[in-house]
Amino acid sequence: MRKTIIPGLALVLFLAASALLAQAPQKPQKPAPSPGFVPLAELNLFPQDKLSAEVNLEGAILRLVAAAVKQEDPAFSSMVASLRSINVQVFPLAGIDAGAVKTKIDRAVHWLEDRGWKANLRVKEKGEETYIYLKEQDGQIVGLTVLTFQPGDEAAVINISGRIDPAQIGRLGQSLHVQQLERVPAGKKPH
Amino acid sequence: MNRIEDMPCDEALDLLEPYVDGDLPTAVADCLRAHLETCRSCAGELALARRIQSELRSLPQLDCPPEILERVRSQGGEVVPFRPRRTGLPLRIAAAAAMLVLSLGGGALFVHFQQQPRQPSAAEIAQATQEARYALAYIGKVSRRAGLDVRDDVLARRLVRPATRSVSLSLGVATQEPAPVRGEQP
Repeated sequence: MRKTIIPGLALVLFLAASALLAQAPQKPQKPAPSPGFVPLAELNLFPQDKLSAEVNLEGAILRLVAAAVKQEDPAFSSMVASLRSINVQVFPLAGIDAGAVKTKIDRAVHWLEDRGWKANLRVKEKGEETYIYLKEQDGQIVGLTVLTFQPGDEAAVINISGRIDPAQIGRLGQSLHVQQLERVPAGKKPH
Repeated sequence: MNRIEDMPCDEALDLLEPYVDGDLPTAVADCLRAHLETCRSCAGELALARRIQSELRSLPQLDCPPEILERVRSQGGEVVPFRPRRTGLPLRIAAAAAMLVLSLGGGALFVHFQQQPRQPSAAEIAQATQEARYALAYIGKVSRRAGLDVRDDVLARRLVRPATRSVSLSLGVATQEPAPVRGEQP
């Protein structure tokens, strides 16, 4: 009898202690989101299971990336080190009715404008649309959001938050090519 | 009422054995003797008890074989100190306290490791680097495309439209407004 009671008592105590400690006030796991952060999941622009590429990088991993490429690519390293998050969603539009996606892109544009994002670029041509929005705080750019909609090809949303130098991002972006990166096997990108 | 007359037979029978061994106090032994003088049944039981005792005493005394004594001495040579038997309560309290401490410590460690963020591997960092570059490359691709559109717009507004207007005026043909601007930049 005692042989069964003592381990049982130990298990109950262990679980109770774990529950109590789990309830205890803890240090916040995540810092407050950057003012330039756009919650793409909340915007619900594209069906999550049909994305052709998705990137979700946050502070800790970005700092590790910056440290890892410091020697090899100092410009890229310094740019990444100042960022708080990078989020990308790419949704293929080939062979589907893009009307619903277009509506969601328009809604996202309103969402950004309602929250103080300023349009840096709006291009509309032959049904294609591209928007580049910037978020400023205390005279500093803290967020960059790109929305692009190309019927028959793809739609995408990119949000970068942190301390942002658009010129630096532009330079680095121009020097990189999506096609080359897509050839490299990657986990989440492209699916 | 006399005590001798009061002693019942069952009480007298219980006292027979200590009486035969000589263990009874004198007063009780006198009472028993008085009862036995008047009770034939109990007196018969006393006679039987005495006969059994004398027969047991007549049995021969056996000695333990020397080899067994030697074995007992060799195995039990060490003197075992006498320890009073402990009650179980303090041991149980100590066990419960130890269990509580272990549980709290284990629980704390469990929660600590649950909350500890996992360090990404080198492969995961390489993957993240690739993804960050992909994001930048995508911005580059979008801005290249948008930049081209802006340049087309600038060309249309500043060169094509004025040229069309001047040619139409010189030919005396009403000009038709060109298509709306392709891109706009606030």
